[in-house]
Amino acid sequence: MAEKHQKPRRDERLAALATDNQRLIAYIRDKTNHLLQVMGTAPLQYDELDDQTLIDLDPIGIIADSFAQVLDFLNQNINELQQAKDELEAIFDATGVGISIIDYDFKVQRCNEKQRQVLVDPERREIIGCGCYEIYCGKESPGLDCPALETFATGRPALARDVKKKEKYFNVITTPFAKAEDGTVSQVIEVTLDITEKKLAELAEQQQRQFYLQEKNTLATVIESLSEGLLVIDPEGTITTCNRAAGKITGRSEAEIVNRSLDSLFPPLAELLAAGREPAGTEFPYQTPAGEERLLAAGTNRMPAPEGEFIGRVITFRDVTEEKKKAQMLFRAEKLAAIGQLSAGVAHELNTPLASILGFSRLLLKDDNLTGGQRERLEIIAEQTQRSSTIIKALLSFARNSSHTGRDRRACDLNVIVERAIPLLTTDLEKRRIELELEFQPLPPVIADPGELEQVVINLVLNGMQAIGQDGRIGISTTTRGQKVLLQVEDNGPGIAAENRSRIFDPFFSTKSVGEGTGLGLSICAGIIDDLGGSIEVATSRDGGAALLVFLPGESGG
Amino acid sequence: MSSSSSPNTVELDILGQVCPACMLVVLKEVNQRRQEITSGQTRLLIRTDHRNATVTVPESIRKMGYRVDVAKVNNYYEITVDRR
Repeated sequence: MAEKHQKPRRDERLAALATDNQRLIAYIRDKTNHLLQVMGTAPLQYDELDDQTLIDLDPIGIIADSFAQVLDFLNQNINELQQAKDELEAIFDATGVGISIIDYDFKVQRCNEKQRQVLVDPERREIIGCGCYEIYCGKESPGLDCPALETFATGRPALARDVKKKEKYFNVITTPFAKAEDGTVSQVIEVTLDITEKKLAELAEQQQRQFYLQEKNTLATVIESLSEGLLVIDPEGTITTCNRAAGKITGRSEAEIVNRSLDSLFPPLAELLAAGREPAGTEFPYQTPAGEERLLAAGTNRMPAPEGEFIGRVITFRDVTEEKKKAQMLFRAEKLAAIGQLSAGVAHELNTPLASILGFSRLLLKDDNLTGGQRERLEIIAEQTQRSSTIIKALLSFARNSSHTGRDRRACDLNVIVERAIPLLTTDLEKRRIELELEFQPLPPVIADPGELEQVVINLVLNGMQAIGQDGRIGISTTTRGQKVLLQVEDNGPGIAAENRSRIFDPFFSTKSVGEGTGLGLSICAGIIDDLGGSIEVATSRDGGAALLVFLPGESGG
Repeated sequence: MSSSSSPNTVELDILGQVCPACMLVVLKEVNQRRQEITSGQTRLLIRTDHRNATVTVPESIRKMGYRVDVAKVNNYYEITVDRR
């Protein structure tokens, strides 16, 4: 009974276990399929593996082991990636150029250390997500010259040179970094190269170049403005440069001078240089192409060059023709003055014996016992002595004028002086039957020695009388010309020939017959007038005679 | 074993088997020979004529960190598994 009872219970249990077994195998199959699906392969088929084979194969164990390997490999990869990422990060920050990643809205996504140092305000904490135009360029929106704008628009790399940002200069290059689904560029890498130093060096060089150019221009202007001629010759003696004055002095164009040898232009100078001498103020004759003879003076200087080198020389020269002429004239004038002084000494010595001769001959003439012939000869002695005395007086006056001693200058009225001089001339005028016409106008005073002025008036009237000889007219008039006082003495004599006009004021120049004039009268006048700051001119009078015009500075308000 | 000497080739013939059985067979072999292959001592040469296996098997084994090459030889495929 018990056995009978036990058997159904065991069957029941076996059936339950079999069901359980089925359920567990189904579970294993299900999980195995799940894992196989993860591995990317097809699910198990019943006909392929029966339950026992499945359990013997241990697919879950196999896949678990494989997963362990996958995990190991994954971890290894993660480590390598992390390391690579760290390395990349270090390179990103250590590179000498600024690198930044910018998105389509111009917001900064990444920014390396260099970019931060160079372009970001050190006070600024937050950069990521901010507008690149704001933190890099200090602008409110991207500029039209922004290369990122071009890269976003064209999808190609872009370069902007010499971009000025925050007082520094950069070359900025942008390249596409990421693309959106529609293929347009969504992010760009912007590489910024700081070229400030290079740029500043360039600017400094440019400034320096400009400075040298300016200096060169200044020097060229100076050389061109020189009144001295200037030549630059190379070591072979060929002229490489000349200035304007060089052309003017030599009478040749610049093209005619440059590239010819110094030897062909200034042979004497080239000879000196060839002999190893350095001309300094050396004078030499030169003939212009037009045939004009000139006297030139030249000096030279070697061009500055490193020691032991000779790169040529500079020659300066000037035309001393006029200078020489003037020096000669001065020499002659000095000689004349010396003659004058000497003559004065002799004249003074002669005056006393002449006075004796004149006195005694006049005394003798009063003797009533003289024969006609004796009287005639005595009269000749007296007359000739008188003439000698006149010449001597003129000589003395000429000499006094050169010495300027004993002069008494003060403000005087020229009209008064003329009136005072007339009585001294009246006898002579009457003898020659010369009529005197006077015309005075009120005058400002002139500063002069009255005696000297009186001498001028007398000499001018005497000059007119001698020109007229007998019977005629002399006019004396005074007037003002602007600030000047004008004294005019004119006669109706023969006038002064044009060829003599430039010489009538020279000492000892006379057109009169010997004995009639000393040749000193007008020269003395010219000397006195010149000394007073005035001038004397010669003209023709209304009736063809001579007119002498004396201009003297008038004292206004004084 | 020196890694510079050429590895021994261990052949695994799964001709006639299809997925996923061949996958499990190959995985089991690779798991068992992990040390040998990663040390460079052994190269595993699998022969299969199941085309799907030339895709699924290399994919899985690559994820486990091996180098896998597939070559077609006559009417079957040769899959070689080496260390990376």
